[in-house]
Order: sequence, then structure tokens, then C-alpha cells
Amino acid sequence: MSVSFSSEANIMEKETVARVAKVARLRLTEAELDKYGKDLQDILDSFAVLDSAPSSENFDFNPVPVQDVLREDEPAIDIDPYELTKHMDSYDGYIRGPKLS
Amino acid sequence: MIARFDLDWLKRQNERHRAFCEMLEIQPEGESKFTFSAKDNLCTKDFQTRAGSRILEGYRPPFDAEPVKRLRHAGGLLLGKTNMDEFGFGTFSTNSAFGVPLNPFDRERACGGSSGGAAVAAALIAGHAALGVSTGGSISCPASFCGVVGITPTYGRVSRYGLIDYGNSLDKVGLLSRNVSLIEKLLPVISGPDPRDPTSCCQTQLDMSKDRSGPIAVPKECLEGVEPKVLDAFNAAVQRVSAEMGREIVSVDMPSLKFAMPAYYVLATTEASTNLARYAGMRYGVMGNEYHQHFNDYFSGVRTECFGEEAKRRILLGTFCRMVGFRDKYYLKALSVRNTIIQEYASIFKEYAAVASPTMPMVAPRFDDIKNMRPVDIYLTDFLTLPPNLTGLPHISVPCGYVGKMPVGMQLVTPHWEEGALVKFAKRWEQGFEYHIPEVGA
Repeated sequence: MSVSFSSEANIMEKETVARVAKVARLRLTEAELDKYGKDLQDILDSFAVLDSAPSSENFDFNPVPVQDVLREDEPAIDIDPYELTKHMDSYDGYIRGPKLS
Repeated sequence: MIARFDLDWLKRQNERHRAFCEMLEIQPEGESKFTFSAKDNLCTKDFQTRAGSRILEGYRPPFDAEPVKRLRHAGGLLLGKTNMDEFGFGTFSTNSAFGVPLNPFDRERACGGSSGGAAVAAALIAGHAALGVSTGGSISCPASFCGVVGITPTYGRVSRYGLIDYGNSLDKVGLLSRNVSLIEKLLPVISGPDPRDPTSCCQTQLDMSKDRSGPIAVPKECLEGVEPKVLDAFNAAVQRVSAEMGREIVSVDMPSLKFAMPAYYVLATTEASTNLARYAGMRYGVMGNEYHQHFNDYFSGVRTECFGEEAKRRILLGTFCRMVGFRDKYYLKALSVRNTIIQEYASIFKEYAAVASPTMPMVAPRFDDIKNMRPVDIYLTDFLTLPPNLTGLPHISVPCGYVGKMPVGMQLVTPHWEEGALVKFAKRWEQGFEYHIPEVGA
């Protein structure tokens, strides 16, 4: 999803906040759109210093090297499924959820 | 080390300081080797695990987080779960849904965050180890404000199996205690590889006997913007380190540290906004029940009702930072900047044993003053704890002075995997500097 914005100086217009909130599955009131828009603008303004930061070539997603650890693909019961599901709303062995359409 | 404690006494203390959101109800029989507590974002079998959030109300995990399990096996008695900022989102523990902890030295002041309850428990209870979690400074900050020792190990040192994620490339489990002796005993217990957490499986073995010699660097950038009385206390402490511990102190430049604040908040909120997508009223905690609704309305309803204000702010910020058009400018740039800062630390560590600074630029603020701070002002107060956290470097905060009765912390950072040198430094520091213990009632 792309977001339109008018100028670098003020990215967090009300419409942008509303679109971000929709993606994040949050409902905001008109007053909250204003408040969060102002807060986020303050925060993004303080991030402007990042533009002057020197970039480095080889960066990773973790601060130290991390390797995947694989195990043998053998069936086993780790935690009893009943224990995992007993606090969920279930029906006939399935977890209940809302409508998809 | 035999821990005796009076549960009724602890309950009275908790009414005054709100360290725990859940605790033992019945005095256990027998003795344990030590008592410990777990921050509420660590899963525990016998207590709810809510991470300070109403959206996890009622969640009872069927298993213990790995660090909790290891401390129990070592003979520890789990007293309860400690209050925290919702999902770790805060600097003062004021974003806690189940009670804001009050500073052990002055109840009108904050404890720091986000492991605020853990620091209060460590300050109030003798011989107690509090499990804390740090993403951007959530162990160092409350340790500083509450006058206790807090260690944040290297990223990947302690298993995060059973930790409720905030930022996966940043979260670290550590310990807080009144002094370093219990930390020295228990850090090896909670450390080490765990096949259930791949990030813990690449570590070099913890060597508590390994020290680092050489001068200690104090970056000039870490002294700008520090309150004058806190700076005086830190400078006096550094003089003692030089005179009494025989360590040379050298002022250095670390110009990349100023990029840590934005880089951290971009990465942390980006990761948090994806992690918190799982809280949608179906699997954990609060259930939605309105199954006739379209899934968008169902998920939005539960999330809107149950997330607190700061959680919503960070979800919005993180969602924005990874949107098409902004991902390169913020997220990828922040990853690149993190590497730049790691390299700058590495070059400093070639010449210096450690990097020292005040832990926080202020003493614990009054709740009245916190109310007047903008969110960005609060983020900026983290500028001393963010660099080692962003880069996954181990660090320790020790009490190093007092402004009136309020404690000041000194933070020491060493290279990846070198926690032993931090503990050795703290032990020698404690031989010459006496920590104040808060006055606690009967």
C-alpha cells in the first residue's frame, strides 16, 4: 500500500493517520486522529537526523550472527493440545473466529 | 543462601509500591535457596501472563518461560509477576494496565520502565533476583531510578522461549538485584543455548572469570543533555573508579551514537507492530465473541478496546515505517545505521575495556512532571540506554551516587559475550561504594 503525502515537513495528515490505523486494525475517533497525527509528526521530525547518517553496506536483521537451528522432523507432543486450547472458544475441535466475508 | 520471607509483609509492601500485579497468595512451606520474580511478559504456569496489557487479561500459559524454568530448577521460589509498561512500551512504567509501580525512595516518583515492578521488587526484598526484559533500556533505566543493579546480557545470551515479543531483533532477558552477588550466581543459570530459541544457539560460552583490562572510555556525546546534579554524581563516581580502582578514564568521541534513538524507535516499533498483529481476540486473553461480524470489524473492535494509548501510538508508528514508500527511508536505513554503530563500538573496544556513561540523564521524575512530557520527549530520555540495546551489547547499571535521596546510575558496556567483565567491575565497585537501601515499613 502506498501513502500520498503533500510535503516532507508535514507527513502525518489526518488522512494518512486514518489509513495507517485501518491497516493496523485500530479505530480512531476524530480527536484521536488529530492527537496521534501530532504525536507522530513530532516523532518523525526527531528522526530527520537519520538522513544524515552514513550508511553501511553489509547489515543484517539481528545485531549478532544468528543461524537457523533445525531438528529432526519427528512427530511428538510438546504441550498437550487440550492445554493450549482450553481457554479458547472452540466448537467441535475447531477454534471459533469471525466471518471471512 | 537461604531465603526467608514473610508473605504478609510483602503484601503490605506491595500495597505501598505496587511492584507485583500477581503474587503468591499462601505462604509456602519450607525454605528455598532464593526468591525471584518474573516480569509479566515472561510466561509462567501458576500466574496469569498479561505483559501489562488488558488484551491479555485471563491468559494462563501452559508452560514456563525458559529463564523461569531454569531459576526454579536452581532452587528459586517464584513470588509473582511484576508490573511493567504495556508490552514494554515505556520509560516510566506509567503505561501499565495493572498498577503503576511507585519508587521505593519516593512514592511520588516513577520507578523507570519498562521493568519498573522488577526494580522495585529488587530494591525492597533482600536476596531477591528479579527477571527483567530489555528492548531499549528497560533493565538499566529502572535499575538506575530504583538504586539497584541491573544486567542486560548480550542479545542471544538468554533464551527467549516463553517471552512475549516486543522487538525480535532487540529483546533480551536479564536480572535485577540489590547488589551484584546474586546476579553473579544466577546469570550462568539462565544463560546458554536453548534449541527452542535459535537466537540463543550461536553464543560463545559464558565465562564469568574473563575480565577486560585497559582504560575505560566515556563518550562526550553521553554527557550532553544530562542534568547537572546527575552529571556531578557521575563525574564523582568516575573519579573514584580512577583513584580507587586504578582504571584510566579517557574521554572519546562516538559521533554515531546520536543516530541510535531514531534507529531504535524505527526498528522497535516496526517489529512491535507486526508482533502485536496476533492479538485479535481469538487465541490469547480477551475473546471477541461477536462472531457474526466481518473479521476486520471483529479484530479492530477488540484491539481498539483493549490496547492502551502508547501501544496504539507505537503500532501506528511501526505500521507507517514499513509502508511502501517509507520502508527504505526508515526501516532499511535504521538497519544500516545499527551496523554503523556496531562498527563504531568495535573500534572503541580495540583500545578500551569498556564504555561508561550515566545510565539515565535524570533521577526518577515526579509523576506530575511526566504528565507534561510529549511522547517524543520521553523517547529522547532513553538516549543513553538505546545505543547498547540497539547493538545487542551487554551492559550493567550500578548505583553510583545520590541526588538528595534519589539514586543515580552508572552504565558500563562491553563487547558482545563479555558479561564476565561487567560483573567483575560491579563487584570491585561495590567494595568501595555503599548502596543505599530504601526504608521499608514493617
